[in-house]
Amino acid sequence: MKFVKFFSLLFLTTALTFIFLFFNKVYAQSVSLSLSPPLLEVFIKPGKTIMVAYNLQNYGDPVICQAKVLPFEPKDNYGNIRIRSEFEGPIRFSLDNADLKLDQPFFLKSKGRQQILLRLRVPERAPEGDYYYTLLVETQPPPVNEGKASGRAKVTIGSNILVTVTGSETVQIKGKIALFDVLPRFKLNLGFGELKIFDSNDKIPVVAVVENQGRNFIKPEGEIILRGNFGETAKYNILPQNILSQSQRLLSATPSAQIDCGNEKKMPIFCQKPVSLLLSGFFIGKYNLSLSIFFGENTPKLFASTSFIALPFKLIFGFLIALFIAFFIIKKISND
Amino acid sequence: MKKKMNFGKNLTAVIFIASFIFYQLLYLANKIDAISMDSSTYKIESASVSNAAARKGSNTYRLVDTLGQLAAGEATSSGYIVKAGFQYIHSIIPFRFSISKTQIDLGTLIPNTFSTDSTILTVSFGGSGQYQVTAEEIGPLTTLNGSNYIQDTQCDGGGNTCSEALAKPWTSTGAYGFGYNMAGDDIPSDFINNSYFRPFPDRNQNEPPVAVMASNNVGRNRQATLTFKVNIPPTQAAGTYQTIINFIATPSF
Repeated sequence: MKFVKFFSLLFLTTALTFIFLFFNKVYAQSVSLSLSPPLLEVFIKPGKTIMVAYNLQNYGDPVICQAKVLPFEPKDNYGNIRIRSEFEGPIRFSLDNADLKLDQPFFLKSKGRQQILLRLRVPERAPEGDYYYTLLVETQPPPVNEGKASGRAKVTIGSNILVTVTGSETVQIKGKIALFDVLPRFKLNLGFGELKIFDSNDKIPVVAVVENQGRNFIKPEGEIILRGNFGETAKYNILPQNILSQSQRLLSATPSAQIDCGNEKKMPIFCQKPVSLLLSGFFIGKYNLSLSIFFGENTPKLFASTSFIALPFKLIFGFLIALFIAFFIIKKISND
Repeated sequence: MKKKMNFGKNLTAVIFIASFIFYQLLYLANKIDAISMDSSTYKIESASVSNAAARKGSNTYRLVDTLGQLAAGEATSSGYIVKAGFQYIHSIIPFRFSISKTQIDLGTLIPNTFSTDSTILTVSFGGSGQYQVTAEEIGPLTTLNGSNYIQDTQCDGGGNTCSEALAKPWTSTGAYGFGYNMAGDDIPSDFINNSYFRPFPDRNQNEPPVAVMASNNVGRNRQATLTFKVNIPPTQAAGTYQTIINFIATPSF
């Protein structure tokens, strides 16, 4: 009898130890989500409804997710967004999935894929204009880790939706070049203008900002042309990125040089903020840069230009140092 | 005549030595500059791998597609036009955001001793324009009953006072609070090294989320390590302190 009691106690202790060990172990859950398409542009008449299929893929551990739609506004000139905390605007969103609803949690297993059927309805009396939203899928944070200080990460991934409501099937295109310039190492103010000076080996950062003064988003296309004083030219295409209504955006041109800036304390200006184009090479003399853009077929072209001067300061300085050292050596040898 | 010849010899020697030194300097300068070669990080546009990716059309429909990017395309019908994906870049990299662990374990807190834990953020981004990952805390580290909290860090204070938008050194164990450091790809430039920290913006205080990763380059598996750090004073009340950190990854538009 004592033998049975002893083994029962041993079994109970072992079982409890395992249970406590298992439940005390905090699972280091990883989350990895993909949402496509990353961008949706919709031109739609009032009274119409469309349905768009999104693919949500879970590459991490099983998660509980929730989909919602919130409006956004441009945060800066670089294409970043600020998501508003409350829904607003006339567009109505819902899900067509039988088992999913907006703002309600659903389970997504590891390596699982969920199609999100987003229905977008424009009421009959919706005012014409642009409305910008983000479809967000957010995960639930893990449970509280009792007895320990902890941060619990919640992951949200988004996809932007640009809606243009137009009854007449026309959009307002009203863009202007707000800025086109180079960011020089030195500036020399002369009476008749400003000289922008670079060293011949410098990377030349070019910034081009376009302002959309209309009520619909626009997509500029065009090119930046570099002309040297010996007649050489190079063309860089403008990527047709969207500029939202009543906002500005820094254009991007390609092919642009990319520099690994690292985390140095004193960084060049093109490492501190984005630029439209970074020219790389050996420049000497005066160069002209011209920007020409348009916003689609049968739209007027806009132009802007700037110039810069590049001289081999570093080479000249290096040669002068070398000359000085050589003179010093020769003089010393001659004296000896 | 002899003086003139000596002068000529000296001049030749000067030019020869100067050229030698100059080329050595040039070689040295090039060697130092080698880190800023562009080729490894050039932006790749039109990264479609298939010759099937193209514009197609007829009198009754218009379609633009790209293989490899799900749902990228354009559909027109009576009353609406829908364009999905970044049409102009035809990317094969879908937008994806990962975090290596969601439970950040800062352990048992000991006064005047730093407690840290870290997680890795990974982004794959095939669009053009900027992607960004923002972060915010839903309130400071607070006990479960909500009666006590750990303040957000101000770093070492004085000239080294950090804010939600500016990282500063936090090395003094006499400086208390909760904050984070970033290291890796596409991080804000004020995180100069692993001693630089910022506090999280607090949503409960209506502070806007801040970008912890952002880039306008096409890239797969861009990784940054986010290190959480906390330090409490000896007077800190006992309890289980916790908060939620919300990471939001969005592509550009």
